[in-house]
Amino acid sequence: MSSAAPIEKKPVKAKKLKRRRTFSRADRLTLGVFIGIPTFLHVALVWFPAFVTIYLSFTYWTGIHIGDIQWAGLANYENIFFNTPIFWDALRVNVVWLVWFGVIATPLGILLAYQIDREIRGHTFYQSAYYLPVVLSLAVIGVIWNFLLRPDGLVNGLLGLEISEAVSFFGDDRYNIWVILTMASWRHIGYIMLLYLAGLKAVDASLREASSIDGATEWQTFKKVVFPAMKPVNIIVIVITIIESLRAFDLIYIIYGSSGGLPILGVLVFQNIAGEGASMKGAAYAVILFLLSIVPIVSYLRQQFKEDVS
Amino acid sequence: MLNKITGHEVDRRLLLKGAAAGGLGIAGATMLAGCAPGAAGPLTFGARTVDESPTQQLQALVAAYTAKTGNEVAYNATESNAFQNNLSQYLQGTPDDCFQWMAGYRMQFFADQGLLEDISDVWDDIGDQYPESYKIASTGLDGKQYFVPQGWYPWGLHFRKSMMAEIGMKPEDIYNWDDFMSALAELKGQGLIGLASADKGGWEAMGTFDILNARINGYQFHVDLLGGREKWTDDRVKEVFRHWEMMLPYQNTNVLDLEWDGAMQLLLQKQAGFFMNGSWFGGNFLEQSQEDYDDLMIVPFPEINPDHGRDTVDAPVDGFCVAKNGGNPEGGKDFIKFAGDMEGVQAMLDTGVPLTSANKGQDKSSYDAFQNAQQAVMDEAKYITQFLDRDTRPDFAGPIVGPAFQSWFKDPSSTDSILESLQSQWDALAPL
Repeated sequence: MSSAAPIEKKPVKAKKLKRRRTFSRADRLTLGVFIGIPTFLHVALVWFPAFVTIYLSFTYWTGIHIGDIQWAGLANYENIFFNTPIFWDALRVNVVWLVWFGVIATPLGILLAYQIDREIRGHTFYQSAYYLPVVLSLAVIGVIWNFLLRPDGLVNGLLGLEISEAVSFFGDDRYNIWVILTMASWRHIGYIMLLYLAGLKAVDASLREASSIDGATEWQTFKKVVFPAMKPVNIIVIVITIIESLRAFDLIYIIYGSSGGLPILGVLVFQNIAGEGASMKGAAYAVILFLLSIVPIVSYLRQQFKEDVS
Repeated sequence: MLNKITGHEVDRRLLLKGAAAGGLGIAGATMLAGCAPGAAGPLTFGARTVDESPTQQLQALVAAYTAKTGNEVAYNATESNAFQNNLSQYLQGTPDDCFQWMAGYRMQFFADQGLLEDISDVWDDIGDQYPESYKIASTGLDGKQYFVPQGWYPWGLHFRKSMMAEIGMKPEDIYNWDDFMSALAELKGQGLIGLASADKGGWEAMGTFDILNARINGYQFHVDLLGGREKWTDDRVKEVFRHWEMMLPYQNTNVLDLEWDGAMQLLLQKQAGFFMNGSWFGGNFLEQSQEDYDDLMIVPFPEINPDHGRDTVDAPVDGFCVAKNGGNPEGGKDFIKFAGDMEGVQAMLDTGVPLTSANKGQDKSSYDAFQNAQQAVMDEAKYITQFLDRDTRPDFAGPIVGPAFQSWFKDPSSTDSILESLQSQWDALAPL
C-alpha cells in the first residue's frame, strides 16, 4: 500500500509537465512565426555575413567574381600588422577614443544624470538641452560641426580669419583628435545621461532614505547604495561605451571622407572593402575590429554573470 | 503613348528594310539598331557629378539626344566621391545604361571584370572623329573599346593674370626650377602664398607628385614606378620629395585641412599666386563671374631636369561607358555614340560651359584664351599620363598612397620611412 502512493503520483506529475509543454497548433504556428522569422533574418543578415567576412579575410579577392577568390592564408593579417603603419595610427586613435569616452564622456553623462535626478533648479531645461544632440545621427552631427569648424566655416569667419590663416581644427594633428572627440562626446554624454536617468528613476527611493537616515553622505549613498543597485544599467553603459568608441565611423567619414586625415579602424574597413580599392584586407580589418569589440565585452559579461551566480 | 508605339513600329520596319537592303547579318542589325533613331527606347544615364556647370553640360547633351531620337533619358546624378566608392557594387547591381567614367586603368579594370559593354562598333562609326591617342586611352586590355571620351584637361600651374600684372611677375617666363623658386620667394615677400595646396581628400597632392617625378626622373621612370617595375625606395624618388620639401615653405600651412576647392578659393580670393591643379575648375571660376574666368591662366610646371624638359603632363580624359548589366545596353550604346559624335559634343559646347573636347571636330579657333593656354600646355608635352590614381592599381592608390602623402605633409623629415613603407605595402598587395 505504502508503495502505491508514489506509483500513483508519478504519472500525475509527468502528465502535468507534459500538459505544460504541449502547444496547440495555433500556438506552434504563432511561435514558429514569431521566433522563426527573426531567427532566420538574424542568421541570414548577421551571422551569415559575419562568417563569410571571416572566411574572406583569409583570401585575395576584388569583390566582383566569386570564381576569382584565392586562398591567401594569413597574408592579409601579416600585411596589416607588419606593413601597414596606418593600422597602428588608427588603433591608437580608437584607443584614445575609448579612454576618453571611458574616463571623461561617460562619467560626465552619469554625473549629469545624477544632478538632474536630484532635480536641481532648471533640471528639465538641462535634460532637454543635453538630450537634444542624441536625436541627431552622428552623420548629421558631423555636418553641423564641419559647417562650424572648417577653414571657411562659422568659427573661423567670426574670428575674422582668412582661409589661409584659419585655425586648422581638422587638419592639425596636435588637436584634431580632441576636436573630433569633443564632437562625439556632445552626443555621447546625452545618450549616457538618458540611459542612466532612466535607471536612477527606477531605484527605490526608500533605499536612499534609509542610507540618509543611517547618516551616509551624498557621495557615500551614491557609491555604496545607488551605484550597486544600478548594476544592470551600468553593464549596458559600459558595453555601449566600448562599442561606440570602437565602431566610430560616421563622424570621421563625413569630415574626412575615406582618406586618411584621421585614421580610424571603421574607415579603414570601409576604404579597403568598398569602391575601386576593394581587397580582402578590408575583411581582415573588419575581423580585427570585431575581435577588439567582442573580447572585452564577452569577458566583462562573463565575469559579471559569474558574480551573479556565486 | 500611342505615338510612341507607332513610332517604334515604323522604326522597326525601317530597320528590317535596312538590314535586308544591306544584306547584313545579325551583327549588322544590332549595329543598325544603334543608328536607327528611336530604336533604342528609354534609357538611364548616370552622372558622376552634382556640380552646377558640368550638370548643365550633361543635361544639354541628354536634351539634345532626346530631341533627336525621341528616346526618354532618365538622368541620375551622384556626387563624384560617392559614385567612385560605390562603382563596383553599382555595376554589379542594376546600373544606369550609360554612365560617366574615366579612361585608362580605372576603365580597363572594370572592363576586365566583364562589367562594361564592348562598344568597339561605336568606335567604327565615330572613331575618325578622334585622334589615335584617345582611341588607345579608350581601349581595354583585350584590345576592344569600352569608353568614349568627353573632354580632357591638363594639370599645371594656374594663376590670375591681373594679380601677376599687379606684382609685375611674368609667369610665362618661368621656365625652370630656379625661376619657379625665385617667383615663389617673391610672392612670399609680398605676403602672399606662393602655391595654394590641398590634400584633405588624399588625392589632390598626387598631381604634384606626378609632375615632380616626371620632371626629375622622366616619363618612363614614372610609368614604371606606378607599374611596380621600379622601387619607391629608389634614390630618384627621394629626390622628388627633396624638391617637394623645397616648395613647402611657400605653401599654405593648412594643406591637410583643405580640399581642392579650398585651395581654389585661395587663388580666387587672390591670396595665393599659383595653384597646381587640373584645369577643370575653370567652370567654377565662370560660376563666380565671367571676369574671374577671363582672368584665369595656366602655364606648364617648370623644367627641373633638362634631360626631360617639360615633356610630360597629367591630362586625364573623362568620358562615358556602357554598363553590361544595365537594362538597355543597346540604348546605352546609342546614347554613348551620340555623346561622342560631334553633334552631341556641340550640344555640350552650346551651353557656354568651357569644355576642351577630345573630338577633332571642335573648332579650336573658338577656344577662349584659357583653353588655348591649356592646348599649349598639352602641345608642349610629348608624353601624356592620366593621374596617379588612374595610372596605378586602385587598391594601392587610394588606400595606400593617399594616406602616405598625407603623413608626409605631417612630417616631411620622415620621407625615407614613408617610402620604405610604401614599397613594402606594394610588395604585400594581392597578386593580380
